[in-house]
Amino acid sequence: MKEITVSFLLNGKRTSVTSLPNRTLLDVLREDLGLTGAKDACGGEGECGACTVIMNGNSVNSCLVFIGQIEGTQITTIEGLMDKGEFHRLQKAFVEAGAVQCGFCTPGVILTAKALLDNDPHPTDQEIREGLSGNLCRCTGYNKMIDAIHLAEQGGLHD
Amino acid sequence: MTDRFLAVGKSLHRKDAWDKTTGKALYTADIPIENLRVGMIVRSPHHYARILEIDKNQSQEIPGVLAVLSSDDIPGAKVFGSLIPDQPSLAIDVVRHIGEPVVLIIAETKQAAQEAADQIKISYQPLGAVFDPIQAAREDAPRLHPDGNVITALNINDGDIEKGFKEADHILEDTYSLPRIHPGYMELETSLAIWGENQTITVWVSSQHPFTDQDFIAAALDLPVENVRVKLGVIGGAFGGKEDSSLSILAALGAWAIKGAVRLVNTRRESFVAHPKRHPAQIHYKLGARSDGTFTALKAEVHMDTGAYASYGPAVAMILTETLAGSYRIPNVQVESYVVYTNSPLSGAMRGFGSPQSHFAVESMVDSMAEELGMDPVQIRRANILKVGEKMFTGVTLNETANALPICLDQAQEIMDRFRAVEVSPGKKAGVGMALAAQSMGLGANVPDDSSHRLEWAPDGRVLIHLGSPDLGQGLAMAVEQITAEALDLPYSQVESLPLDTLDRPNGNVTCASRMTYMAGNALIDASEKLIQDLLTHAGEILEVPAKKLIYKDGQIIKEDGSKLPVVEFLGRLAEKSITLTSESTFSFPYPEETTPQDLPIGMPHVLYCFGAQVARVEVDPDLGTVEVTHFAAIHDVGKVISQSGVEGQIEGGVATGLGYALYETMLRKDDQWVDSFTEYLLPTSKDLPTHYENIILEIPEASGPYGAKGIGEIPLVPTAPAVANAVHDAAGVRVTELPISPERVLGL
Repeated sequence: MKEITVSFLLNGKRTSVTSLPNRTLLDVLREDLGLTGAKDACGGEGECGACTVIMNGNSVNSCLVFIGQIEGTQITTIEGLMDKGEFHRLQKAFVEAGAVQCGFCTPGVILTAKALLDNDPHPTDQEIREGLSGNLCRCTGYNKMIDAIHLAEQGGLHD
Repeated sequence: MTDRFLAVGKSLHRKDAWDKTTGKALYTADIPIENLRVGMIVRSPHHYARILEIDKNQSQEIPGVLAVLSSDDIPGAKVFGSLIPDQPSLAIDVVRHIGEPVVLIIAETKQAAQEAADQIKISYQPLGAVFDPIQAAREDAPRLHPDGNVITALNINDGDIEKGFKEADHILEDTYSLPRIHPGYMELETSLAIWGENQTITVWVSSQHPFTDQDFIAAALDLPVENVRVKLGVIGGAFGGKEDSSLSILAALGAWAIKGAVRLVNTRRESFVAHPKRHPAQIHYKLGARSDGTFTALKAEVHMDTGAYASYGPAVAMILTETLAGSYRIPNVQVESYVVYTNSPLSGAMRGFGSPQSHFAVESMVDSMAEELGMDPVQIRRANILKVGEKMFTGVTLNETANALPICLDQAQEIMDRFRAVEVSPGKKAGVGMALAAQSMGLGANVPDDSSHRLEWAPDGRVLIHLGSPDLGQGLAMAVEQITAEALDLPYSQVESLPLDTLDRPNGNVTCASRMTYMAGNALIDASEKLIQDLLTHAGEILEVPAKKLIYKDGQIIKEDGSKLPVVEFLGRLAEKSITLTSESTFSFPYPEETTPQDLPIGMPHVLYCFGAQVARVEVDPDLGTVEVTHFAAIHDVGKVISQSGVEGQIEGGVATGLGYALYETMLRKDDQWVDSFTEYLLPTSKDLPTHYENIILEIPEASGPYGAKGIGEIPLVPTAPAVANAVHDAAGVRVTELPISPERVLGL
């Protein structure tokens, strides 16, 4: 197998990666780029959402994206969510609402929520439940995440 | 105790939450290490087989492969186990379940490790396997271990069982079947080990009990315990499942073998087949009652499938058995419980620890009895709940916290009435059900249950908590920070807990059994009092006044003349003299000899209980058999809220896990293979949970608790499944006695 080189915009920065083509975006983020905010909780089967990143505005499971597919894309990971040292309103809202427990699913959930709010600034509870249904969490029962997303939608208490 | 609360009871921000929302939090799989090698485990493909040969030659030759290890290569103890040392770190001569580790490969890359795993030749002679614990308990069953398959047999009697059934006007019996449940923490079992100089090793674990990991690693590598340093990454959930060694022994073995750094991470499939589950159980349950609803007798027989190795099976059996009468007064009881080895994946600790199983039986049966007698479900419970000063069948006398029971029932009644008034969706049948729950705290009588923690008052004024037990993600750190802030009269922001490191930490013991806030909280209140005394003694010396003429308040020292001096000034002066203020305290779980029955096996009884009730409203589709939980209320007594958002989070997360138990989760064996992924094993998602949800939090102080607090870690998932089952019965008239409540079972197929 021959290595390929792909270029993409990662958290706003031009990035090039040379890798075997059978590796996933999740592998490359964690192993090559040292971005360990995206997690693996299902064994790379696209079942848990812990590896969620935003690709061209949509939330995707990075464990299901092969590296050849990212040429020319824009990718946001959890590490790219803070802006000039300021926490994103979703990050503040998740802390404020007590939506973080063990935290393993949190990066994926926050990025899913960001894509959701970017596409629909005022989702209903039902739309949030639908939107988060690909992100598994064993700690919270999801209620406080839904509260947090509504809080962020209103700007978050910290703003 | 202070009469106003500065930090306790408040909804504050978890200090670890910021790093968790930015991706900075480092779990054990995330810790960056130079020259890190990859570990991979070759596991048994058989339920039960003799190992004829392990041929490592070809795999050892593969470029990049550094070590191919089997049991013979372990320099020290080849088996481990928290209760019974019956589990090989790598299989010895036989494999007893699919997924059992046989060979450990260490390589430079994942690819090389995978190739070595593909190339290794292990020949097996399959043996006849057994999966049903009742069959496995028979004399003629395949024998898994030298002493036979029954590892625990409990038989507890109270009163006169025959007389009890004679006094009954109605006797009902049923068999309840409980499935195998995956703890489902998101962070998979992970360990990272680095071999050091002078025969030392440092191992990062994701574990509820790092001091046990330390002991197991030292024994396996034949090292003195002090040569093994165990540290924690951030832990991504545990729920009991990480009371067992989570790859730490094998990671350490790999690091020892290559004299380097090795990380091992299970895949989810490995976690499913090779890491402990909630025990499947069959409970035969027979209850007698008078026509007025009073219970007269209970006879129960329990078979628990602990799988190939004991894990915590014998201890789980105790709580399961002790809670078979639930929160009720039953004067004549005979219960027998058997923990049996089978060729299933092992079962061990999981949140609730036996109590979810027993409560499904008792709370389903109580509703069946109510129907039999034409009574209301709340009314029959009211007639039988234990009161303060009354004894459970184990001989344990309930303290004032039992005052929670009638309040739970009052609340449940009000909520049931409201839920019954909700309009039914077209084409659906609606029903409302409730269940009560009792969950013990603590490890049980005559089991060592001490917990030590240390405080340090840093020169900058911050108070550091050297916590001796891990925060598993549930928020222990926040709870103990709030308690310590309260005890030291300091702002929450000034108190910070540090992650555990066995190098210099007191042993706080295992984080489990709904008791960590209670244990650590009590130890830290005592440590705070000692710290203040120590501060005043030093301040007195500096000020040249007797310490007893000084008062400590609000981070300041007040002199007799009313003048105030900030503590930080004294801390600075002491630091100049190389004095650091520290204090350490140990809290021992109280089992007073005069009130603790001593005639039971070691580990029994549990003497302190938490109580709660839950109410579910369901809508059943009569054609499809599907169940939707539309409304849910959780009523829990916590003694005293330490952290408002923490308590709510524990309850809401527990209910979600309870709803998974009720409706979706079961690790089946299909086509002779175990379900081993989230494709078929369904954890509840945000779409599956009730849209109407209520928490009712009661505060009935526990005299021995920190500021009156009790545990809340486990009980929120205990009454959930029977509350749903009772609601399904109310809606559709069908009594489902086997979890999960699948459409097939609702339709009686």
